[in-house]
Amino acid sequence: MPKRVGIDVGGTYTDAVFINNNQIEHTAKVPTRSENLVETLLDAFDALKVPNEQEIQQITVSTTLVTNAILQNRISDVDLFLFSANGMRLDALPWPVRYREFSGVIDFRGREIQSPDQSEWEKLVSLDGGGNFSHVAIVGKFSHRNSLHEEGLAAYLKNRNPSLKIALGHEWGQANFYRRSLTTYLNLGVSDLYHQFVQQLQTAVTARKIKAPIYILKADGGILPLAKLRPIDSIYSGPAASVLAALAQNEPVASSIIVDIGGTTTDLGLSLSGVPLLSSKGAQIGPFSTLVRSLAVRSIPVGGDSVIRPKDQGFVLESYRLGPAHCLGGKEATPTDAMRYLGLIDYGDTLLAEEAMASLLPQARRDPQSLRQLATEIINTLVDRIAEGVESLKREWQEEPAYKVWEVLHPHETREFYKLVSGGCARGITTALEKRLSNPVHLGVFPEVSNALGTAMARPTFDCTLHLDTYMKHYHIEETGEQGKWQGSLRPYKEVEEFLNALAQQQAANYGIEIHDLEKDPFDFFPIVKNYSTVGQIVRGAVHMRPGVIGRVHV
Amino acid sequence: MNHTGILFFPAFDWSLGDSHPEREERLLYTQEQLFEEGIFDLPQIKQFAPRVASLREALRTQALFPTPQKHMDNLDAHLIAAGSAILLGEARVRREITNGFVLARPPGHHSGATVWGNRGFCTLNNEAILVNHLRAQLGIKKIAVVDTDVHHGDGTQDIFYHDPNVLFISLHQDGRTLYPGSGFVNEKGGPNAWDQTLNIPLPPGTGDEGYHYVLENWVLPRLQDFAPDLIINSAGQDNHFTDPLASMNLTANGYGHITELLRPDLAVLEGGYSIEGALPYVNLAILLALAGEDYNHVREPQKLVRPTLSLSVVKPYIQELQKQHQKINPDFTIQTNKSIFPKGNWVYIPHSIYYDTEGFQENRQDYIRQCTHCAGTVYIESRRPPSPRKSVLVRIPFHACSECEQAGYDLWEQLQKPSEDTTTGILQNQLRDNLYVWHKKEGLKVF
Repeated sequence: MPKRVGIDVGGTYTDAVFINNNQIEHTAKVPTRSENLVETLLDAFDALKVPNEQEIQQITVSTTLVTNAILQNRISDVDLFLFSANGMRLDALPWPVRYREFSGVIDFRGREIQSPDQSEWEKLVSLDGGGNFSHVAIVGKFSHRNSLHEEGLAAYLKNRNPSLKIALGHEWGQANFYRRSLTTYLNLGVSDLYHQFVQQLQTAVTARKIKAPIYILKADGGILPLAKLRPIDSIYSGPAASVLAALAQNEPVASSIIVDIGGTTTDLGLSLSGVPLLSSKGAQIGPFSTLVRSLAVRSIPVGGDSVIRPKDQGFVLESYRLGPAHCLGGKEATPTDAMRYLGLIDYGDTLLAEEAMASLLPQARRDPQSLRQLATEIINTLVDRIAEGVESLKREWQEEPAYKVWEVLHPHETREFYKLVSGGCARGITTALEKRLSNPVHLGVFPEVSNALGTAMARPTFDCTLHLDTYMKHYHIEETGEQGKWQGSLRPYKEVEEFLNALAQQQAANYGIEIHDLEKDPFDFFPIVKNYSTVGQIVRGAVHMRPGVIGRVHV
Repeated sequence: MNHTGILFFPAFDWSLGDSHPEREERLLYTQEQLFEEGIFDLPQIKQFAPRVASLREALRTQALFPTPQKHMDNLDAHLIAAGSAILLGEARVRREITNGFVLARPPGHHSGATVWGNRGFCTLNNEAILVNHLRAQLGIKKIAVVDTDVHHGDGTQDIFYHDPNVLFISLHQDGRTLYPGSGFVNEKGGPNAWDQTLNIPLPPGTGDEGYHYVLENWVLPRLQDFAPDLIINSAGQDNHFTDPLASMNLTANGYGHITELLRPDLAVLEGGYSIEGALPYVNLAILLALAGEDYNHVREPQKLVRPTLSLSVVKPYIQELQKQHQKINPDFTIQTNKSIFPKGNWVYIPHSIYYDTEGFQENRQDYIRQCTHCAGTVYIESRRPPSPRKSVLVRIPFHACSECEQAGYDLWEQLQKPSEDTTTGILQNQLRDNLYVWHKKEGLKVF
């Protein structure tokens, strides 16, 4: 069992854990210096005081670098060029960025229906006047079936400006022109920033003689070597880390609902038989809809420090935070005060907590019984919001569309969920949550460093989805965007399985990860019929290594 | 905000045969097109997951002969398509959506009141099962079904032929030139539902313009007159100019405009087998039209080359057809020599139905109690030669009057008496939403 370090960079604090032989040996917490992420990581690493740094075999980092750059609009200027073809009007969907459209049409089989118009390209170059563009994202409708037009325009532009940074949409090989465009745009937009970070971190680590390879946690709960990651895949690794932390403290095959209650927000996740649920749509970040695979999580805007305001009858639980709870030196009454007043948590000043509760009631009703009742109602309100989130997450899972008869006849069974609560004031809501969900609720063991723990215990995920059209003699891989010629038979059977396995091995080697225990989707075979005879097949198949953890931590 | 529901169920693991038009590949390219367009990212689009209809939900509308059990091996996909229609229909009635599109396989509109097997690729009638579900469970009274598949919706017509609360309109390529060979203007409904069936056979070559003319000048006024609570569009896509079986000349844009004119509460996919040239584009246009988005940029790659009839040809043709239609008056035969019937006039309509998928004939003798108060009880004897034995459907209609209700019970009782030539019977008591299946050997079963 390797020695591992996990570091989670949060908004306020950066947490770290050192794990040896499935035991947490050291933990640390340092303030996040958002202006210098590399320094923060090294601070956290130093604070861990790992006895023999040379023996560390892996360091995994969960960072908000890319998330924050996007949300704070600190990304490079990217020009977005689209082969938008026919169909739905582009402006039917909200485009948070500007784009320029070009002619050229490819269809769903990857056939060229209309070739691009070179004069448009020439006009573009003359307009550019010799190099205003620095970053260009080129995306065509159905480019994941045929990258011809994207490659053509890229070569044309590169020829005129060799220093141009170009990203092509087909590298994001999933359907959805809109999301593919925005994902290509964003990934290119954050790549300078990310590569700078990689370089600085590698320099710093080399200077410290740390030999352990560094991995980055992705939105889908998997990890990839620092240099192999597509930067955009690192968004939302925080919620993924909290789901993984729960798995690391759980029975391997249990289905669980994970509640991570923080100061401002509460994150919810779901795992089915030990495998975290993936979101059926790509991640949404700010105004951008992307193709980034992420875990299905819900973030509810209430937490231990949410402000409570008095109302004519009762109170309102607001969805914002104004500093710490009253019992911890803040100004506002919060759920944390209610928990402290009822003695559900053991930190914070009892008298200040009482003061906070009293401030919500009229003078005449500030007796112990009313205060207790109020505090209980506050916790119940918080728990209600959390329970609604849990229900909505379960619905997302149960209402996933099905496209095959077999899937409809074998629906997800309702199962018992193990409920795991972690986070600062987790202890304060367990009883109320148990009552609300009428099920036992378990408390995470290391609530204060759970994200770092999840990060340390993460393992690679792997997906290789093949789309093969034997009639067009063309295949493509969704995850890498690889497109190639098929030289096998028109109606392959065993052959296609071997083909997919070879592609998967090759792809894993390229990522620098080991794959094992691959889960195989059954192949879908679509006979292609022309004039009542079968002329080929479209074959779809995939192998996966699902998100998970390397083992269980011992308590 | 207005919401358009979509239930996309392409049944990627089901076909009627390896190279059958109704095969796995049929909605594959539609999926590619819809996903690539990002249509599920439109804020007004709400996707629903399919569900299986129960056998009871199917039997409420269709009698599965000789016994429901005999069909169970081949029914799964059909039950999912029907269940999906029900699910989206319920969402519409509960106002969770403004309108919706059941984009599911297999289709259903050739499947009628009695079912011995698959015909015209259909085993269960998705729209009809939906319509009766909404009436039985959600209190909907009047529903119009407009069938824009290129083939006559003979199954749907059969199911609602005697039902004055369902207006059935079918526009299709003339039955003299295309399967199933029915759907002429003289088929106007049974004795208690006269003029509640409207067939508009169109000449081959009618294009977008002609089709829209018929909708605006005949279909829409008739719909307005009927004032239904819900409009359901049986949205077949084989009017498209690339269709391999039919010869109409509609475009994807033309389909978008049909949807815009009809403003259906629910569109339900029927036929359409130009799976590359038409379906991806027609489905996209219909969905965009339902969602209130511009469909004018939807372009199929192929160009229309077949000759299309100009409006100056279609217009007089339709006007003449309307005149013919008006002139047709009811002419029914009252049966006189059958002793089992309770009192009243029982109209007798014999006909036969051909099951093309397996190649056999069903012979039917339909009897309808003439009634001025309600839709009238229906008694159908059905035989599949060479077996001389009959299977019987007794239907007590929605809102049945007490006399018709009693007549239904009397017939049902008669039926269960020992006799040599009756194998099975089904009682559809739509009035009380009860369903009974009686089998000679297995006895009575309540559904």
